[in-house]
Amino acid sequence: MSRSGWFPFLIGIGLGLAGGLYYAWILNPVEYTDTAPDSLRADFRADYLALIASAYAGTEDLVRARARLALFSGLEAGTELAALAQQRLAGGFGEFGEVEAAALARLAADLASPPRSPGSTPTGRPPTPSTPIPSPQPSSTPRPTPTAGAPFTLASQEQVCNPLLSAPLIQVEVSDAAEGGVPGIEIIVVWDTGEDHFFTGLKPELGQGYADFTMTEGISYTLRLADSGQLVTDLSTHECEDEEGLTYLGSWLLQFEQPGR
Amino acid sequence: MLTTHLPRLILGALLGGFLALIYGWLIRPVEYVDTTPDSLRTDFRTDYVLMVAESYSADQDLDLAQFRLAALGPLPPDVYATDAIDYALELSFSRTDLEHLNQLALALRALPQPGEIQAP
Repeated sequence: MSRSGWFPFLIGIGLGLAGGLYYAWILNPVEYTDTAPDSLRADFRADYLALIASAYAGTEDLVRARARLALFSGLEAGTELAALAQQRLAGGFGEFGEVEAAALARLAADLASPPRSPGSTPTGRPPTPSTPIPSPQPSSTPRPTPTAGAPFTLASQEQVCNPLLSAPLIQVEVSDAAEGGVPGIEIIVVWDTGEDHFFTGLKPELGQGYADFTMTEGISYTLRLADSGQLVTDLSTHECEDEEGLTYLGSWLLQFEQPGR
Repeated sequence: MLTTHLPRLILGALLGGFLALIYGWLIRPVEYVDTTPDSLRTDFRTDYVLMVAESYSADQDLDLAQFRLAALGPLPPDVYATDAIDYALELSFSRTDLEHLNQLALALRALPQPGEIQAP
């Protein structure tokens, strides 16, 4: 192509870029919808944390508060809540500042040394997840991708008595709108003294959307999918009886589904 | 002249548009940062309202509850509470959660509506 032949081509590229950006920024700019709390602006994030603390003041449910705090990746909860309490006390937050400061300080303190719940075991050792910390597993076959923005919702929750299970489990099955198991979904489970994250798809022999977590007797767990705001509370072991009348600890089966398009 | 250059111009424009999309979607896609509570997804929004309700159940401070709900948008606060109840019912939230939400919704509905004349 001659030098003069390149000129209209370059002009065209410039026009295309300008047109594309005009469309993207002026005619049809991005609208923020279906966002998660982790993306909130700093001031709203602070308000959200204060709200978590205020809700905790109302319910005294530390497990639930932990589950909500886990929405924020990389949050040093104790430190950040204490700093926020100081900011609230320093003024500029109106009549609500002192109330929120007290709630934040209390939650920060309880996170540092949680009040023992009646059901906690004396040793209080956090349970070990039965699945290792995952890395996303590639799927070997094409599958429908989850509907962007549509949250998974809890479709069923049932107690399971299966003597073949060696330990009481929280079993989770996640399926998409096409009812296919979805691997790589992060699940957060919290209890009064800790939290853990595990992922679906690490036991493909049990299904691409399957994951499980080993419970410790006497501890109450709250679970949610990392990309969902729905909390599943009060998950703990329960008694089951086998055919010979012997008791053993039962499990939970939680099935999450994504609404259809 | 125009006939000679027009195809190149169009080809360049198409390539430019394509490059803009590659840049915008792959190289530097939109990152959701600095968002506001009114853009929260329904499940997070419902949990937000539930937290307001849980807080209200303890402090009974309706002004604070309204102040917090105002972050969700310009609609009257009882609308957000009602929407949260609908979603909570749909997903079978616990009875305690529903009671908290209901208590808040009732308190908000009892407020005088804007423009309503109050008895002396």
